[in-house]
Amino acid sequence: MDSALIPEGANRCSFPKFAVGIAIVGAVVLWGVYAMGLIWWKGLNQTNMNDYYGFALWIWADLAVIAVGGGAFFTGLLKYIFKVDELKNIINFAVIIGFICYSSALLILAIDIGQPLRGWFIFWHANVHSMLTEVAFCLSCYFAVLTIEFIPNILENRQANKVPFFHHLAHNMHGVMAVFAATGAFLSFFHQGSLGGVAGVMYGRPFAVREGLLIWPWTFFLFTWSAAAFGPCFTLLVTRITEAVTGKKLVKDNVVHLLSKISGWMIITYIIAKIIDTIYWATVTVPGLGFNISHFYSNNGFYGYWILVTEILVCGVIPGLILIMKSTRENPTLRLIAIVLGVIGVCLNRWVMVLQIMAIPVLSFDTWALYVPSWQEVATTVLPVAYGIILIAVTYRYLPVFPQEKELNRTKPVTE
Amino acid sequence: MKVDRRSFLGLGLGAVAGFSVSPVLLKLTDDSSIWTQNWPWTPVPVDGEVMYESSVCSLCPGSCGISIRKIDDRPVKIEGLTEYPINDGGACLHGISGLQYLYDPSRVKTPLKKNGDKFEEISWEEAVSLVSGKLADIRNAGTPEKLACITDKNTGSVSGLFKRLLKTFGSPNFYIMPSLESYLELTAASLHGKGTTIGFDLDNSDFILSFGAGIIEGWGSPVACFKANASRKERGATLCQIEPRLSNTAANADRWVPVKPGTEADLALGMCAVILKNNLFNAAAAAGFKGGFNKLTALLQNDYPLSKISEITGIKEADIEDIATQFAKAKMPVAVFGKGRGDGSQSLKELVAVHTLNCLVGNINKEGGAFVQPVKEYLEFPEETMDDIADKGFAQAKLSLYVHDLFDKVNASSQPVVEALLVYQSNPCYSLHDTKAVKQAFGKIPFVVSFSSFMDETAKEADIILPVHTFIERLEDIPSGAGLSKAVVGLSKPVVKPVFNTKHPGDILILIAKAMDGSVAQSFEWETFDECLETAAGDTWGDLSENGYVILSEGVPKIPHEIDISFLSKAPDSVQPTGDGDLLLIPIDNMRLPSAAQAASPFAVKTVSDEELKGKDTVVEINPKTAKGLKNYDRVTLTTPVGTAKVMIHLSEGIMPGLVGMAKGLGHSFDNKYVSNKGVNINELIGPVIESGSGLDAAFGIKAKISKA
Amino acid sequence: MNKENIKAHKFGMVIDLDKCTGCGSCMVSCMSENNVPFKEDESNKKDSITWMRVYKLTNGKSFPDTEIVYLPRPCQHCGGKGDHGHSPCVSVCPATATDYGYDTGIVSQIYTRCFGCRYCMGACPYHARYFNWWDPKWPEGMEKYLSPNVSPRMRGVVEKCSFCYHRYQAARDKAYYDGREDIEENEYQTACTTACPAGAIVFGDLNNPAHRVHEIVKPDPHPASNNPNVVGKSRNPNVFRLLERLGTNPKVYYLSEREWVRKAGDNYLEGEWDKIKNHHGSESHG
Ligand SMILES: Nc1nc2c(c(=O)[nH]1)N[C@H]1C(S)=C(S)[C@@H](COP(=O)(O)OP(=O)(O)OC[C@H]3O[C@@H](n4cnc5c(=O)[nH]c(N)nc54)[C@H](O)[C@@H]3O)O[C@H]1N2
Ligand SMILES: Nc1nc2c(c(=O)[nH]1)N[C@H]1C(S)=C(S)[C@@H](COP(=O)(O)OP(=O)(O)OC[C@H]3O[C@@H](n4cnc5c(=O)[nH]c(N)nc54)[C@H](O)[C@@H]3O)O[C@H]1N2
Ligand code: SF4
Ligand code: SF4
Ligand code: SF4
Ligand code: SF4
Ligand code: SF4
Repeated sequence: MDSALIPEGANRCSFPKFAVGIAIVGAVVLWGVYAMGLIWWKGLNQTNMNDYYGFALWIWADLAVIAVGGGAFFTGLLKYIFKVDELKNIINFAVIIGFICYSSALLILAIDIGQPLRGWFIFWHANVHSMLTEVAFCLSCYFAVLTIEFIPNILENRQANKVPFFHHLAHNMHGVMAVFAATGAFLSFFHQGSLGGVAGVMYGRPFAVREGLLIWPWTFFLFTWSAAAFGPCFTLLVTRITEAVTGKKLVKDNVVHLLSKISGWMIITYIIAKIIDTIYWATVTVPGLGFNISHFYSNNGFYGYWILVTEILVCGVIPGLILIMKSTRENPTLRLIAIVLGVIGVCLNRWVMVLQIMAIPVLSFDTWALYVPSWQEVATTVLPVAYGIILIAVTYRYLPVFPQEKELNRTKPVTE
Repeated sequence: MKVDRRSFLGLGLGAVAGFSVSPVLLKLTDDSSIWTQNWPWTPVPVDGEVMYESSVCSLCPGSCGISIRKIDDRPVKIEGLTEYPINDGGACLHGISGLQYLYDPSRVKTPLKKNGDKFEEISWEEAVSLVSGKLADIRNAGTPEKLACITDKNTGSVSGLFKRLLKTFGSPNFYIMPSLESYLELTAASLHGKGTTIGFDLDNSDFILSFGAGIIEGWGSPVACFKANASRKERGATLCQIEPRLSNTAANADRWVPVKPGTEADLALGMCAVILKNNLFNAAAAAGFKGGFNKLTALLQNDYPLSKISEITGIKEADIEDIATQFAKAKMPVAVFGKGRGDGSQSLKELVAVHTLNCLVGNINKEGGAFVQPVKEYLEFPEETMDDIADKGFAQAKLSLYVHDLFDKVNASSQPVVEALLVYQSNPCYSLHDTKAVKQAFGKIPFVVSFSSFMDETAKEADIILPVHTFIERLEDIPSGAGLSKAVVGLSKPVVKPVFNTKHPGDILILIAKAMDGSVAQSFEWETFDECLETAAGDTWGDLSENGYVILSEGVPKIPHEIDISFLSKAPDSVQPTGDGDLLLIPIDNMRLPSAAQAASPFAVKTVSDEELKGKDTVVEINPKTAKGLKNYDRVTLTTPVGTAKVMIHLSEGIMPGLVGMAKGLGHSFDNKYVSNKGVNINELIGPVIESGSGLDAAFGIKAKISKA
Repeated sequence: MNKENIKAHKFGMVIDLDKCTGCGSCMVSCMSENNVPFKEDESNKKDSITWMRVYKLTNGKSFPDTEIVYLPRPCQHCGGKGDHGHSPCVSVCPATATDYGYDTGIVSQIYTRCFGCRYCMGACPYHARYFNWWDPKWPEGMEKYLSPNVSPRMRGVVEKCSFCYHRYQAARDKAYYDGREDIEENEYQTACTTACPAGAIVFGDLNNPAHRVHEIVKPDPHPASNNPNVVGKSRNPNVFRLLERLGTNPKVYYLSEREWVRKAGDNYLEGEWDKIKNHHGSESHG
């Protein structure tokens, strides 16, 4: 039915099967869109946020997708700037995942603000002191860069590529991609960092505040570093899931091992920095403001030291160690465990840096504020996931995303 | 030119590109944001010329001067009036919310007549003729005494006109709702003779011994009390607060002495005994005591030994002795009474016992003490014309002494003892104990006329509602009372044209009277209420209308007073709470929730703590020791002999174990979603307990049980 | 801006917690002055707009040693670290919808510019900022009492105490009209101050030694010796600010003779309070 669009030599499921799959996920998208409509129409009262809890579930999701979307800029940086050539076999997919993550983040922001039609005031009336201004500028620019990085891949679709103009455009864009990758890496470095800065500059919130370098608190650097470290884990995870779903091997082991190894070393260095930061914060910064760190982890029904241990040890140190050691890294099961833990770890970090901050009382006479999201928040948070699945399914089906796919699946019969 | 697929695509892409670089998008983006800044459903207040008008607030007995800011004809803000002799700037939250009452959409907007379960709108002419016709029937049947009337107070021209209507009609059955002023007059009557009242010189006292009087809970004239309390800090005066719960007053006091509820009278008498025993009393003052000083002394020495008082009250002997001594030795001590706001149930024994402390230390009519003097009268109505029916009816005995008793009588009789009832500025169906019984009595009275601005619980029970102006819309003399050391009459003025089809209560009475014949019509010969007030105020009117107030008395009264202690010498019993629960439910007065005639405004409800109201549930206060495993916001069922309610729990270390504290002023049931159907009305859970010897409803609480819901 | 201008005002407040009765007049006066809306259920205090909120504090002791104090909390009009005008909220607002007035020390809020990202709310440790989760709605007819001096807000924006800025504007306009250079102390008083029946709130110019607020607070113009972020500490040992050591530099001060109340104003490590409680006022004062 749609065989003319499918990459030459690629084996894809039947169209009806594909359509059913898309329809199921599409239903989830519709649910999310319905919730989104409600929020735009009726306002943020559709959420369970309140004046204590001004940032909630989807802001966490926003930060989390940007963090895991960090695989795109970091892989791009390695491929185009540091010329790690093997990564060309996964860069397309990394870009697509990045595109999904960043478009999702922008969508969440559009839902999150109380006055979506005034969202552009952030550019028009920009306050240069605000980390969020930095985020907004870099995020939008980087999204443009990702789109540019994505376009050649789209133009490589079998039909599009028949148009000579598109063919040449795609070819030439590949040629100059290093420039965009460099720009992207720079922008991404800043907005990942400014997202970290968002928390770190809140000097009214002792749980969030960090000292730092010039105008940037340490969280600025930690966020960038963690995105670079854990982003590739997410790229690898999604690749692994795609392989499982399609029942095909799509990327060669050497590529996977290489990216895992890089990710592992990034995680280890990050987690060392994170541990130093935590110790300094807990023993110098926080006591200087009159708090024991136990204040942040007690007297409430949810946040305990477990979250700190899970984030740093279980989902930081352990995956880092697994990925830097050859034997464990090349064991598929252990590697999978490591990348899953890594993704959880970075998401947990973003949770802590958004939601735990809001929950902790600062005034000595205030109390913990815990919150449970409304279904509208859940639906709009699930929306990007469903949208991402659809986009991956569609691009996988119609675009030559994995250069090694044909080679790795040569033995199988071609149904065309 | 052939339009093929490719050129179509190209054209389309070109159009999109062109559109995106044109200013159209930018313009639309800008317009949409401007639209969000001018949403037509967000009101834009109209600007105009700023003006200030002075008036007097009559939402509570405080009688504060207020200043109303207007934009052209529109009042937009109420604030306290500086240099007004009662409050001198500053106002309470209810006064400041006054405009929410004025524009309250649940006001009664036009006269209403009950038809079955529903009210239907009628004209003023019809309303007046219905009421006057019905009253005439009662009068013509020769039973004028079967007309009864309830208002909020005894003083002022509007109450005066109601009284006049009843008298010339031929009925002695004029009642007022219990108020601090009524208790002050009652206490004064018992000790100093009828027609007197008591004021407290809190501004100058150096030792205030308060038996549960909520000095900053809305007791007396609230703003004046707040000021006196604040100045106490500067003067170095001591406040010793005696009550079972850490109220705001207790928290603000220098010393809080938790006492077992209902034993305050014993404590006061115990302190009297200490003062007598240690010879700390003012001999000159005691020498003038009438009614058995020796008998009282003997009684106190025998029946009130410290050990026994300590056991009854739960206060250490040393503390009782210490406080009594400090009080007696202070230069300008004053003991104040009237638990909470002072308008709830009170026991005369307690009031008199506390005031006896004042008498013993000789601080009556001394600076910083208690001022005893005749109730100030500034109005002089022309002599009523009385015909035979009026004379005969008016000479009959009153049905009862107090208003709660009136309803008991109505309920107890199978014949209508009251044929018609006029209710003004009061809400007995909400604010008397055992509201179910009160409503039942209303059901048995054939004809109830409510003079009300709001569709409150009592208005809902009426047959006819005659909507009256709010205090912002009408001219009225507002006499102060409420335990102030000075007497002031203020003038409340209409600062805005009536918002709805309402009338001045005085004008309504004149219309009704004129529609009847005989002595009634002849006694109401004014054209309007304004004319009536001006003539009745006589000499006072000039200053009143010019300055907005007249000070009737100020400073230490230089008049003799007598002290008659025969009431106490008879050793009256103390009131006991009814029921057999293991807990005691007590009401909590709180400045942010009015509990009497006026329900809270939306603003005031907004300020109510989530330790008192959560969603639609009343939150009751109990000590963690009493809680037995209950946690904050657990739901429980509270049962008393009178009623049952579902409430939530708040654990507080500020309440004596064994007690359940519940806010007064919640649980309204009329149609106003901002104010009503929030929590329970405590008066549905507490029943009256009549004090022997005084006839007062003196229930200070009721035994209760709590079970997990 | 004219940061260096000596004539610049620095409006501030001192609230006497020993006088405060918790009556709520200040809250209601503020609501009525500033067109603050209300809704059916206001018992969830985490979404109830109260520019002035009166907190209830207890000393944590059990019956009968319990004590209570009420603490009214308007926006603290923070001067930010070093009092340079980078208030926690102002410095984070991406759209400059909230700003620091260097001539007044007042932190403004521009409703028509705010796009509702709520970052400022996260940054404010005092919970002084409120979001309009709903469209403000007045019962039919009640919008007649709205004041034209303060624009009603729309859904989706943040609002907070403005120190009744419009009253300052009115006073300034009047002074200008009368040909005077400056306003008098009594000409600019906030709605909560004038309403307070207990006279617990004193408002005025912290830069003007003749103003009562200055007399009570005696602010130290120098940074605290142990924390250069903290400026304007009170030299009155009974006066404190909320979370002073964070360096937010509030212009709202509190006064209490009770030690536990002063201690509740900030967070202290074990033993820390005992070392500083007796010279809690400015170090440079000793
Ligand atoms: N007291 C006070 N004064 C102020 C301000 C304030 O806040 N307070 N704000 C100032 C500011 S920022 C501004 S922008 C100005 C605004 O002041 P103005 O420009 O006077 O604005 P408006 O009063 O809104 O409207 C002007 C008139 O334009 C009419 N109008 C509407 N649409 C049209 C149209 O299409 N064509 C024509 N011919 N007329 C139309 C309206 O009916 C209205 O009579 O006010 C300034 N003056
Ligand atoms: N409904 C409605 N909305 C409108 C308009 C309308 O006519 N109707 N008009 C639109 C127009 S034309 C405009 S210009 C905008 C104006 O909209 P806004 O700029 O929001 O105007 P205001 O509400 O008057 O003032 C904003 C805030 O600034 C504070 N402020 C004033 N002066 C100062 C100062 O010197 N320093 C500091 N720090 N704060 C200050 C005020 O107290 C207030 O909190 O509104 C637009 N929105
Ligand atoms: S205390 Fe009473 S009289 Fe005074 S403003 Fe409040 S309600 Fe009005
Ligand atoms: S008005 Fe005054 S006394 Fe009342 S709560 Fe506010 S500050 Fe305290
Ligand atoms: S109190 Fe909060 S809102 Fe006010 S200036 Fe300080 S940080 Fe900003
Ligand atoms: S919510 Fe409004 S004022 Fe607050 S930071 Fe965002 S744009 Fe600025
Ligand atoms: S200063 Fe004005 S805006 Fe601020 S709390 Fe007081 S009344 Fe409200």
